[in-house]
Amino acid sequence: MELVIFSITALIAVIGAVAMLTSRNAVHSALFLLMNFGAIAVLYLLLQAPFLFAVQLIVYAGAIIVLFLFVVMLLGAERDEDETNPIRWQTPTALVMAILLIAEVVYVLISNPQTTVARVGNANVFAAPTDIARALFTTYLLPFEIASFVLLTALIGVVVLHQRRS
Amino acid sequence: MLPTIFYIGLSALLFVIGVCGVLMRRSALMVFMSVELMLNSANLALVTFANQWKSLDAQVMVFFVITIAAAEVAVGLALLVMIFMRKQTTNIDSMTTLKG
Amino acid sequence: MTQLAWLLVLIPAFPLAGFLLNAFFLRGERATGIVASLSIVASFVTTLVAVTNLAATPEEARYISAHLWDWLAIGKVNVSVGLWFDPLTAVMTLLITGVGALIHIYSISYMHGDSRPHRYFAYLNLFVFAMLILVMSDNLFLLFLGWEGVGLCSFLLIGHYFERDSVAPGIVPSEASAKAFVANRVGDAGLLLAMMAIVSNFGTLSFFGADGNSGFISRLTDASFITVDLGLFGSIGLVSGIAMLMILGVAGKSAQLPLYTWLPDAMAGPTPVSALIHAATMVTAGVYLIVRMHVAFDLAPDAAGVVTVIGAATALIGATAAITQFDIKRVLAYSTISQLGFMVAAAGMGAYTAAIFHLLTHGLFKALLFLGSGAIIHGMHDIQDMRRMGGLRTHMPTVYRVYLIGALALAGIFPLAGFWSKDEILVHAWYGAQNVNVTVMLIFASWLTAFYMGRQMALTFAGSTRDHDVHPHEQLGTMKWPLYILAVASALGGIINLPGIHWLTDWLSPVLHHEAELFTWSMGIFAAIVVISAGAIGYLGYRLYSGELLTQIKAGEEDPAHYYLGDIWKGFEMGWGLDYVYQRLLVRPYRTFSQFLSDVFDRQAIDGILVEGSAGLVGKVSQAASRAQNGNVRTYALVFLIGVVIIVGYVVIGA
Repeated sequence: MELVIFSITALIAVIGAVAMLTSRNAVHSALFLLMNFGAIAVLYLLLQAPFLFAVQLIVYAGAIIVLFLFVVMLLGAERDEDETNPIRWQTPTALVMAILLIAEVVYVLISNPQTTVARVGNANVFAAPTDIARALFTTYLLPFEIASFVLLTALIGVVVLHQRRS
Repeated sequence: MLPTIFYIGLSALLFVIGVCGVLMRRSALMVFMSVELMLNSANLALVTFANQWKSLDAQVMVFFVITIAAAEVAVGLALLVMIFMRKQTTNIDSMTTLKG
Repeated sequence: MTQLAWLLVLIPAFPLAGFLLNAFFLRGERATGIVASLSIVASFVTTLVAVTNLAATPEEARYISAHLWDWLAIGKVNVSVGLWFDPLTAVMTLLITGVGALIHIYSISYMHGDSRPHRYFAYLNLFVFAMLILVMSDNLFLLFLGWEGVGLCSFLLIGHYFERDSVAPGIVPSEASAKAFVANRVGDAGLLLAMMAIVSNFGTLSFFGADGNSGFISRLTDASFITVDLGLFGSIGLVSGIAMLMILGVAGKSAQLPLYTWLPDAMAGPTPVSALIHAATMVTAGVYLIVRMHVAFDLAPDAAGVVTVIGAATALIGATAAITQFDIKRVLAYSTISQLGFMVAAAGMGAYTAAIFHLLTHGLFKALLFLGSGAIIHGMHDIQDMRRMGGLRTHMPTVYRVYLIGALALAGIFPLAGFWSKDEILVHAWYGAQNVNVTVMLIFASWLTAFYMGRQMALTFAGSTRDHDVHPHEQLGTMKWPLYILAVASALGGIINLPGIHWLTDWLSPVLHHEAELFTWSMGIFAAIVVISAGAIGYLGYRLYSGELLTQIKAGEEDPAHYYLGDIWKGFEMGWGLDYVYQRLLVRPYRTFSQFLSDVFDRQAIDGILVEGSAGLVGKVSQAASRAQNGNVRTYALVFLIGVVIIVGYVVIGA
């Protein structure tokens, strides 16, 4: 059952990613990316991370993708790519490197049997939202505050960037 | 439970697709989206290992990654808009001001 | 240190103070001249006081020494700054400060209107200071400092008119000064090597040591049997080697064969400088060095023989060159070379007292002649060519009178100073050393001396004015008194060592251990023959050039004698062509080589390969590297990815 769900969602995720990559229209790309994010959210659920499932949907699908769509439409940059590629050897080299990277990953996965060891512990739900909240507000309080500070800084930065200069 | 290798393989695949996007697309927006895809694949790997070791830490890490990604996207897109207003394009091949 | 020692320090301290004042504080022409002259006069007076004190000391230990401070202490070698005042130093110091003071006073008028008087007087003071250090030093190292100091000052003063392209007779001042310096350097190398030989063998450079008996000079006798192996060149006695090396230094400083060529050109400087170089300082240093080191030369007959030959040959060459010159100062310059040859030859034959005696009298009358010629040049508005003079007797009566005394003294006419000193050398050559060849050469040279002085007197003062564009005048100012004093001194200077009285010999005997020679009648007859023949030849020279030949002498034309002697005369005029040989053999190849270095090597190798080549290489590499910085983000990312693939590959496969 799990394998079926995984296969379907993985397929959707890969299709979304590839479609995002190949789509000419930026709006379409953003929507395919949304599809990919959704699939990954489902996978989080499979991996017993319900909190992250929610965060993924809210932040990525809800906020980031919307922001992308906003910007694309605002700028009218849906097809902002001319047909001629100025760097001719870029794409072939990139593809070769990508294949090499995949090959390396495959080599690691096949040659390393430790990645299939039996799981430690057997609690089905170890990361309920309450657990994560406890961790965030106790052990990870300082990083949490820093993250909030980063967000605030980003907010101010964006405002400053778009200040109208006289 | 499925073996970890499945998720890791998927994560690696998505990462490489993201890499290809960064390298092959010429619109800065598309590059941005590809970067987000790579971040997500990394998050997936983290969550997978968190599940394998039943550890909370990796999930908290993913939470922070998502937070920072949000900040990054906000600033990045703001910069992009600025660049577009100046150059009337988002083609990153035309942004070669740092040429030596 | 005793009070007497402090007195000693004052002697060089005055000129040094004068130099510092002139160099750094004074700028007015009058002030600099007066300060410079006063400092030397003060030094002279101090010397007189020191000499009277020295005379009061017992004869066995007649010296005053002043150890000031230790200069260098390297291993066992300890070089001190110390002064040594013995009878030899005393006479040298008297000459230097006495004649030096007169030249300074003379310069006040002579240099009137010069653009750099403070500079001139500062160097003049420094010159005297260096010379005093040279003669008063108690060790060879400090002597060398003075030795180099006079070299430097001669360079500075010969080049006083460095901004002029050419001074009469066609000398470039900057080149003349460089020539003097280089010729001296060649000699200095010899002296330096001699010093090294002394240090390595005796471990000290002090002449006499603190107690007057522990320096290297007293140990030379013990070392006389040591020989030095020179490999292919055989072997040489240590003392001979030291003496031979010193000869090179002497030849450079005292303008002897083969290094005399710098002295004729040294008159590119102002005339009082020539007087200072030729009479009181600089060139006398070589003779002084031989006399100071006489123990070494006594122990090394071969070196002394070389000295004699060099001296006699130089005396003859200088005299022959002097008879052909038309430049009034050039005659005197070659004359100086010739007279220095007399002194060196005398020193080589062991007649050290005679050498010093001639050094003193020559210092007096050569200073007189140079200052007199300076007065003539001054009155002739910077004309030095004797062909354009003539008849100056009526225009410049005072100068004529003093110049005549100087000329007669130089020619060795009885009873002027030059007669006694030159005669003593000749007598010693004939009776003492019994060296016929040298005696003949020297007698011949002294005949020539009389001849060229007669010729000069005739050309300069006899007859009537040949160049009517010039209006000679006699306006001496402060130049007058030095001329008078020197004239009297030149006339009476022989008194100090008359046969039978021999004060100088007695005075110097604590240093030289020479007993006065017994005066015999045969010596008197010998002297009379020499003096009468010299007088006759001098008169012949005067008659020839004031009578028959005078009408044939015109500005810019050859001497009438050239008609008879042809190229021999020409060769004399060129100073036996040694200059020409150096020019061809050394200067021109060296210049060509330098030209090659500057035009080809410097431009191609240094500039082309090392400077521009390295810069170009860096530029090319940078250009290639900067191509990587093409500003294209995607390319950066691709390179980044390649790096990632390689590192991951290394980790995965290597691990």
